[in-house]
Amino acid sequence: MNIAHKLAITALGTIMATAALADFPMDKDITFVIPYKPGGGFDTIVRTFEPALEAALGGASVVPENIDGASGNRGGQTVFRADPDGYTIGIYNVPGVTISKVTNRDIGYDLDQVTWIANLAEDRYAVAVKSDSSITSLAALCALGRPIKLSDTGLDSTSSIASVIGFKIMDCPVSLITGYGGSNDTMIAVMRGEVDATLKPIGSLSKYVESGDLRIIATLSDEEILPGVPTTTELGFPDLAKFTINRVIGAPPGVPADIVAKLAEALRNAQGDENVKSWAKKAKTDLTFKDAAQTAEMMNDLSEFYANYKDMLVTK
Amino acid sequence: MGIEALFAAIIELFSHTGSLYLLAGVLLGLCFGVIPGLGGTTALALLIPVTYNMSALDAMYLSGGVMGATAFGGSITAILLNTPGTAPNAATTFDGYPLAKQGKAGLAIGASAAASAMGGVIGLFTLLLFIPFAKQVVLSFGPSEFFLLTVLGLAAIAVSVRGKLLRGLIAGCLGLMFAFVGSDSITGTLRFTLDTDYLWDGIPLVPTLTGMFAIAQMIELSLKGGAVVNDDTALSQKISGVGEGILSVFKHWPVLLRGSVIGTIIGAIPGLGGTVASFLAYSSTAQTDRDPDSFGKGNIKGVIAPEAANNAKDGGSLIPTVAFGIPGSAETALFLAILVLHGLDPGPTILMYHEKEIYGLIVALTASAIGASLIGIALSRFLVLITRIDVSIIVPVVICISLTGVYVLDGRMFDVLLTMFMGILGYLMIRFDYPRLTLVIALVLAPTAETSLHQIQMISDNNALGFMLGRPVSIVLIAAIILTFLMPYSRKYFTKSNQAKASRSV
Repeated sequence: MNIAHKLAITALGTIMATAALADFPMDKDITFVIPYKPGGGFDTIVRTFEPALEAALGGASVVPENIDGASGNRGGQTVFRADPDGYTIGIYNVPGVTISKVTNRDIGYDLDQVTWIANLAEDRYAVAVKSDSSITSLAALCALGRPIKLSDTGLDSTSSIASVIGFKIMDCPVSLITGYGGSNDTMIAVMRGEVDATLKPIGSLSKYVESGDLRIIATLSDEEILPGVPTTTELGFPDLAKFTINRVIGAPPGVPADIVAKLAEALRNAQGDENVKSWAKKAKTDLTFKDAAQTAEMMNDLSEFYANYKDMLVTK
Repeated sequence: MGIEALFAAIIELFSHTGSLYLLAGVLLGLCFGVIPGLGGTTALALLIPVTYNMSALDAMYLSGGVMGATAFGGSITAILLNTPGTAPNAATTFDGYPLAKQGKAGLAIGASAAASAMGGVIGLFTLLLFIPFAKQVVLSFGPSEFFLLTVLGLAAIAVSVRGKLLRGLIAGCLGLMFAFVGSDSITGTLRFTLDTDYLWDGIPLVPTLTGMFAIAQMIELSLKGGAVVNDDTALSQKISGVGEGILSVFKHWPVLLRGSVIGTIIGAIPGLGGTVASFLAYSSTAQTDRDPDSFGKGNIKGVIAPEAANNAKDGGSLIPTVAFGIPGSAETALFLAILVLHGLDPGPTILMYHEKEIYGLIVALTASAIGASLIGIALSRFLVLITRIDVSIIVPVVICISLTGVYVLDGRMFDVLLTMFMGILGYLMIRFDYPRLTLVIALVLAPTAETSLHQIQMISDNNALGFMLGRPVSIVLIAAIILTFLMPYSRKYFTKSNQAKASRSV
């Protein structure tokens, strides 16, 4: 047997060994479904995580795919119908899907059967007014003597649901002015002065705070996020800190536990990536990691929380 | 700071790979523009994944090339086949197609090319002038102004269909009724959705436009037979006049300027877009002309005004973008999505942090508008031959391409069916002489009008009129609306008094 033969056999052996070992995630591309158009918050986080996730999975290929339509339900349905082999995962808008479940709206699949893998990040809300407004606190906003005008995109958006319930808890009457094209337009409405304030994720508001157009008067959180800005918990409304926006990763029903664990671990490692960290810092996103069990628990807690306000949620 | 960045962007364009991407964008934009059903938005949406591995600046050159070139590309089909290649070119068919039928397609294409290029340049210069005040401009346009602008648009429709006012109103009302379909933008109530979720988001615009114009025109052509130009005298003429067409734009510079200014203003208003811009430019030019009856029969001014407006609107749509990082049009929305893909975060500070990319886009748009026109002029000699091909060849090709284009957009078969339905409706409208553009403009304007009026009501606690009268820009717009309605009467009055004078002097 000459050297060439030996090499050939060794090479063949190596290939066969790899083929045998290469089950998940090396067989094929992992499709990462984003239920919205390119460019939005959910799209950005998936595309930011994608290179780090590939590295954490030992060089597997992850392909983001935008399947938008039906307020994000088309993407959710696509994931639900896929094979439960770990090669199809998706990002979910929480509490958007939770609210649909609580209000018995048909989203085309059973949310309780989704295999939850991880919670990647959490955004918090804040209330902002025009930067030269005479209103400097939530108390002053509530004391206007008329319903507070808040701008929002639509009555079923998660931020307007948080506004309606949140201000109800604080016992402040509000009037939602909806119909704005996007969250940027709602903030420009505050600057034009046609509404008093708006409740939006801190990450979206901070761009306009930085440019000197808006001022944040309170954050909906337990701990201080922005220096000198009071939290709603400090102000005596601890329930308001429960309104968060979560970027949750899920998969079709029945994905084997070892694959779920592998994916969750890779996502946790991807969080440590420098690019991901610097993006999160800039976007003021909190990279709160929750594994599969913790995520499932969070989903249950949120369902219970929103179920308390079911009467206020059914707007149609 | 602005001028430096501008020069830097120009230099950057001619170094590295920038000009190559720009050229690719221009060629792609011309193709997407020429094909009915496909437009700049489709091209950009399809390009998003392609730009993923490019540098942010190269992505800007590519998308700028596409944005600047589609407008002129669309005017070619509008002039030669009476089928607007993209929605905003619909107004160009009014006088462009009659010119082509008279054998003067070269003249029309030359004028369209020069008007597109000049309109683009004027629009971008207006943008550069406005950049320091962009914030104030955006903040002075709220729901009240949006609403009044849509009313102005509808008023312009009402008076523009002279001689067939009633037919125009009927078509406009049909457009408004189509716009009612779908969920109410404020309350979310579903209206006339016939129990299909396809109609939840309303009647989509692109299939409607493609059906109304491309398919309807193909039905019309195939029933008539022959070629677009059948007239023997027209056929015997030499294909020329391109140079004359280019010169005509400079001869009618007030028309060019008016079109460009209208385009820039409408471009800056989110949701209105190029169709409204070019239509308003056309109707205001026709209304104020000394000889309004010559429009619709092959007046070159009727090509210059809408084409200038259509390219100028790109500059205008960047005003809200540089001020707050928000899109002024569907194309700029996609351009912002491309920026996000490259890790840039559009927002009110966009001009501070991403000056390079913004000026890169501005330079690309200008270069593209000029480049597309030059390519178009060079090819016009061959393009004009299309009007001499027998329709039995043209019709199947255009129908196939248009329907494929509509399907590609969202991959929904319903869109194709809707296009066919609108095609038949459009043909019936041609047959019974109802203006199709009136229907389309009403369909475009209605959602903005409805949402804004509803918003004003809520903001002003049901005192909409008082709220509007308290805003200076709104008062100017109200005056403009009243003037639009008075225009036909004042003209009648002047003609009469002129005639009276003439008869007295005799």
